[in-house]
Amino acid sequence: MEHTNNASNKQLINSEAKAKAKRSRSPSESPEDRGQPSKTTLHRLNGLENDTEIYGASHFGEWGEYMQRKRAKLQIQNTSLEGPSDAKSDIFRGLAIYINGWTRPSVQELRKLIVTHGGVFQPYLDKKSLVTHIITCSLTPAKIREFKHMKVVRPEWLVESVDAGTLLPWTDYIFYPGGRAEASQGHPVGQTTLKPVSKSTPPPSPQVQVNRSESQSPASRSRSPSRPLYTTDPSTYEDAVRVPGYAMGQSNEMAERVMADPQWRAAHTSIAPDFIEGFYKNSRLHHLSMWKAELRSLVMEAQERAEREAFGNTQDRDGPVVQEKAGAQSTSTTDVSMGGVEFTLRSPTKNKGKCKAETNERVFMHCDFDCFFVSAGLTTRPHLRGKPVVVCHSQGNQGGASSTSEIASSGYEARSFGIKNGMSLRQAKQLCPSVVTIPYEFERYRDLSSQFYTILMRYADDLEAVSVDEALVDVSHGVASRRAAAPFSVNDYALSLAETIREEVKATTGCDVSIGIAENIQLARIATRMAKPAGLFHLRRDDVQKALEPLDIDDLHGFGYSTREKAKEKLGTANVGELAKKSKGQLCEALGKGTGETLYKAIRGIDDRKLESDKPRRSVSCDINYGVRFENNEQTETFIYRMAEEVARRMSDISVRGRSLTLKIMKRDPSAPKEAPKFLGHGICETFNKQTPLSSIHGQATNDSKDIGEHAWKLLKSFNFDPRELRGVGIQIQKLEKEGMAENSAQARLPFQPAFRAKTPDKAELVQVASGPPQIVVQPPSQEEILQRADVTAGVEEAPTHDIPSFSQVDKEVFDALPEDIREELENEYKRRSKSPTLNVPPPVPAERRPRIVVKGTSTDVKRITRQLAPRSKTTISPRKSTLFAKRVTRVGPSSVRVAEDELQELGIDPEVFAALPVDVQREQLITARHLKNGGALAEPKVLKYAKRKTRVYPKKPPPLASHPQHPFLKQQGPKKGDKLYFTRTDDVQRVIEAWVENFKEDPPNQKDVEYFSKFLVQSAESSDTGMEKTVAAMRWWLVLLRRHWEFYEHHDLLETEPVTQRMTSEKIGRAWWTAFREVKLKVDAIATKRFGGTLCLK
Amino acid sequence: MSPVQHCGFELGQGLSRDRRYRKGPSGGPTVHTMTDTLSFNQTLRAIAEFIEVAIHTILYVRQIYPPDLFVRRKKYDTPVYQSRHPALNEYISGAVKAVTDELVLGNVDKVVVVIKDKDHLALERFIFSVKNMIQVQSYDKDTSVQDAMTPATLSQYFRSFLIKLTMIESQLGLLEQHEDNSFAIVMELNDDKVPSVGQDKNPPPWVPADQQHTTSGASEDSQLHLLRAVDTGIISLSLAVQESGKKFQKFVSPDPKEKGKEKT
Repeated sequence: MEHTNNASNKQLINSEAKAKAKRSRSPSESPEDRGQPSKTTLHRLNGLENDTEIYGASHFGEWGEYMQRKRAKLQIQNTSLEGPSDAKSDIFRGLAIYINGWTRPSVQELRKLIVTHGGVFQPYLDKKSLVTHIITCSLTPAKIREFKHMKVVRPEWLVESVDAGTLLPWTDYIFYPGGRAEASQGHPVGQTTLKPVSKSTPPPSPQVQVNRSESQSPASRSRSPSRPLYTTDPSTYEDAVRVPGYAMGQSNEMAERVMADPQWRAAHTSIAPDFIEGFYKNSRLHHLSMWKAELRSLVMEAQERAEREAFGNTQDRDGPVVQEKAGAQSTSTTDVSMGGVEFTLRSPTKNKGKCKAETNERVFMHCDFDCFFVSAGLTTRPHLRGKPVVVCHSQGNQGGASSTSEIASSGYEARSFGIKNGMSLRQAKQLCPSVVTIPYEFERYRDLSSQFYTILMRYADDLEAVSVDEALVDVSHGVASRRAAAPFSVNDYALSLAETIREEVKATTGCDVSIGIAENIQLARIATRMAKPAGLFHLRRDDVQKALEPLDIDDLHGFGYSTREKAKEKLGTANVGELAKKSKGQLCEALGKGTGETLYKAIRGIDDRKLESDKPRRSVSCDINYGVRFENNEQTETFIYRMAEEVARRMSDISVRGRSLTLKIMKRDPSAPKEAPKFLGHGICETFNKQTPLSSIHGQATNDSKDIGEHAWKLLKSFNFDPRELRGVGIQIQKLEKEGMAENSAQARLPFQPAFRAKTPDKAELVQVASGPPQIVVQPPSQEEILQRADVTAGVEEAPTHDIPSFSQVDKEVFDALPEDIREELENEYKRRSKSPTLNVPPPVPAERRPRIVVKGTSTDVKRITRQLAPRSKTTISPRKSTLFAKRVTRVGPSSVRVAEDELQELGIDPEVFAALPVDVQREQLITARHLKNGGALAEPKVLKYAKRKTRVYPKKPPPLASHPQHPFLKQQGPKKGDKLYFTRTDDVQRVIEAWVENFKEDPPNQKDVEYFSKFLVQSAESSDTGMEKTVAAMRWWLVLLRRHWEFYEHHDLLETEPVTQRMTSEKIGRAWWTAFREVKLKVDAIATKRFGGTLCLK
Repeated sequence: MSPVQHCGFELGQGLSRDRRYRKGPSGGPTVHTMTDTLSFNQTLRAIAEFIEVAIHTILYVRQIYPPDLFVRRKKYDTPVYQSRHPALNEYISGAVKAVTDELVLGNVDKVVVVIKDKDHLALERFIFSVKNMIQVQSYDKDTSVQDAMTPATLSQYFRSFLIKLTMIESQLGLLEQHEDNSFAIVMELNDDKVPSVGQDKNPPPWVPADQQHTTSGASEDSQLHLLRAVDTGIISLSLAVQESGKKFQKFVSPDPKEKGKEKT
């Protein structure tokens, strides 16, 4: 019993608790509020009858009661807020306001404002009709949609209305959802793969990202508002502006010149067959990212091994930490990869590796080579020490002053001239003409790097491979043990450990490293800045503020150019010291929640990030944006497939398969020159990304180059870009799975038309298919029989490969289960076939690909043939006809005779041969064989029947005959006696009239002649509209002739001025002609009036 | 003659009956090439299409609507003008469809585009005169008619029609441009024929026309320009322009000599 009551009781308790909580939070709490509110208040509010109605127990099954009461209680609270004493104004009367989300001023303040000024504060929005306005500072997209028909206003409306003492128009304060707040969020992630460009990451050129830590020492940093960016090939206009000396709109003339040479193109751009290999052999970025990935996985393996071994026998701790696999050295000369190197973590104890040391004091070291490429190069070139050395592709005087080759690394001597990483060699030469270039030596870098890591491994509790020349190491334990060893020494144990490491690295590799030491990763990185060059620096907790103060945001790891710009714009400063004074809220508001919070901590030297030593690889990719120049789609496709091979190779190297593929395309910005300022570079580009799920034919994750290529090419095609505009292509595979895993988890795909699916058809092949007309066999009736035979044999041959099974072989159940449209199609097809039972029209070869054309072609074909087979009449005649046809269809329906195979064998017929025969022959054969077997006579009623059907002949109706109006003709005496000339054509008639007029220039026209012409013209006009046209033309010509000779008399009335003399004056002749003309005209007009109304105009 | 004027309002309901694309009972359309002679349905469709094109051109040439309402297009290898106004286009195509329905039955004598002034007095009539020369059985509607014209020739004729139509402007007396001229499409049927009732429930799209809009209402002094005529052997078609006497009374004839002559 008690149990049943429980629910409602609990609810009540809850509601009261909440109400109390709310009450206690409200700033002005009158004593009255605590007690029961007066009845008058209640009545005024919601018309509830009494307070027990509100504060009493909820009733069982009373839906909505809870909320209703809650609302009432809150309103009671609000009215108490209002208070009689400070009833300020009524400016908000009639308003019911709901406040959405976080606002400034706070909800409590706003609520007070609303309530004290006569408005109603609605705490819930469950009934939108109750609310007149919504106050908000920010809305989620979903809410924007939800509220789009409501009055959404900024809180300033209330505040300023109160200030003004009157209700300001809310329309001035409409809330407009601005740019998405998320745009400012999202901090750049450490580069894990070789990414060419993505618009979201602040430094869009990867070169910059990689070299940033080296290039900008705090001392040399310029404080210009727009910081110069050093790269030779920026891909956006924003970046291009920041690159000093970058001729943005300028086309590289040399590139244009060489690109004009197709042979050069074929050999040196992406069209070249070995382009990808060449590209990767020479791409520093490729090596860097590849090594990084490899180092990471090596580190990971080392840790795993360390953990495993922790449970086994203790190893010799001073044993070799690097085990070069046999033969690795020899292969690595050509293949510059980390393959063959194996790290061993020094102390496989329980609190090493993944189970991090739990010492109170964490010590992180950030170890970084000083200008790695240069110092690596100098190890074999000691004579260059002290000279301004840079590493770049372009060597010596090659390329000369105009070289756009990018400087990957510059020595400190070179830096003192102002040379920066990412500059072009040309720029560097301008700054320092004596600059010395040395080439890349990837093998050396690899070796040095592995040595470097080997040493670090020996001291590290945990290690994160940042790049070849840079690592983050957790050395907490090492330091602690040193302290334990010499507890009373005043030395800085961390510093002394770092010194040991530094010396060891120097001794092994001959290169200097700088080590920054601090209590977390962020600070360690900053400490390294202080340590450089070739030094150590321990950033202690006490010095943190001092060290951080002069820095800019983008000196902090994880914050880039865009964050800096944003901070400057919104907070007025990018200086860490200044920003330290800002509240967390301000930072969050300006930079977005995530970035703001991280920055807030970072500024205070707090960084709780962990070393990412065991972060599994997320993606494998292959990007090429140098030398990408295509002329047509075929080249692009080939290239894509080649890139897919590269990606596939990388994936199988680390034995993973992927489920998702992203295609990144850089397309020349329409406003950018055809040839980028950087020789064969990508120039300013538009970047496009598209993602697609990736799967093999069996629906599993894949690393097959064919699958990858197919998917990538499909994506690229979907962009529909001009291949000549492409400047960069990247294929990235995500959702990686370890090979061998999840093999069976995937749902297999049904093998629909596997032959077609397996490979994208060749372009050429497609064209061929398209141009090849469907095989339509049109048979002249005479050759019918012969050709039919020929067709039958052809059909037999083709049948097993291209034909659908005969109707009798179709599983009825399966057939019924097919989708309606497919079933219909099949039915039609079978109908079509059964209509022409004897001729098995072979479908043309490309039937599967171009079904439409085929059906169309053959259907007309069939129609024609059936007509000839049964030439009774056109098939189009009557609906009754079709029923007759239908009957025939059912009779001849099955396209093979049903007979058991055993029986056939018994009869001595090869079933296979039998199946290939046309139905009627099958039947015939079967009957004959059966009869022969039974020894009976051969009766052939069926054959007769067949013949009968064939001989039934319908008379074919003649096609309709056109009827042309009979045109009257002008009959004349021919040149010879008895000859008659008939004139019907307009110009002939005109010629006759002209002759007539010319002959009677001296005489008035003969009345007989006039009648003769008049009769013709009238008849003609009466006969048809074309006749009328002729009449008009003739009359018009007559009129012209008359005007030519007697124009003067045209408007003289003949009757009025009847001449007395009998002399044949020209006047009389003229008048006679005009009279004749008018006579005819009247007659013709009469016809025209009858037909159209009005008179003919002969103008 | 039973003159019947087309009423735009009721057109919308009649639109659904589009016979022009109805297939013959055979199910598949007969394939015709340009060298085959015309079939009845082809002729019907061609004439209907031509009338539609011509109406657009008439409206442009006679400037019933501002010229910028029209776009220049190519049809029958000659430039024509087509209205861009959807409502107008719908009215015209609806009217032509309705005409086509009657044309199938062979009832139509004339289709008249009447240009009216603001008082609805007919100023000009553009008369499409048609005559069904043969009766074709329903099953032969898609069969090539022996001895008939070929589609190519017919299309050349239409071209000539349209050229004449655009040229006639120079011969016709000017219409006063500032007036609110309007137009109507009138169908005149053969004697003792009334517009057929459609198979569907919709009322027929036609209403009886104003007598003076029809050719039978043409006064004695109206002038007829016969533009062109063609005999396809199936349906004959001619196009004439009639300037009404009203127009001559309204406007001074540009050629007084001509006018005097016509008085006789």
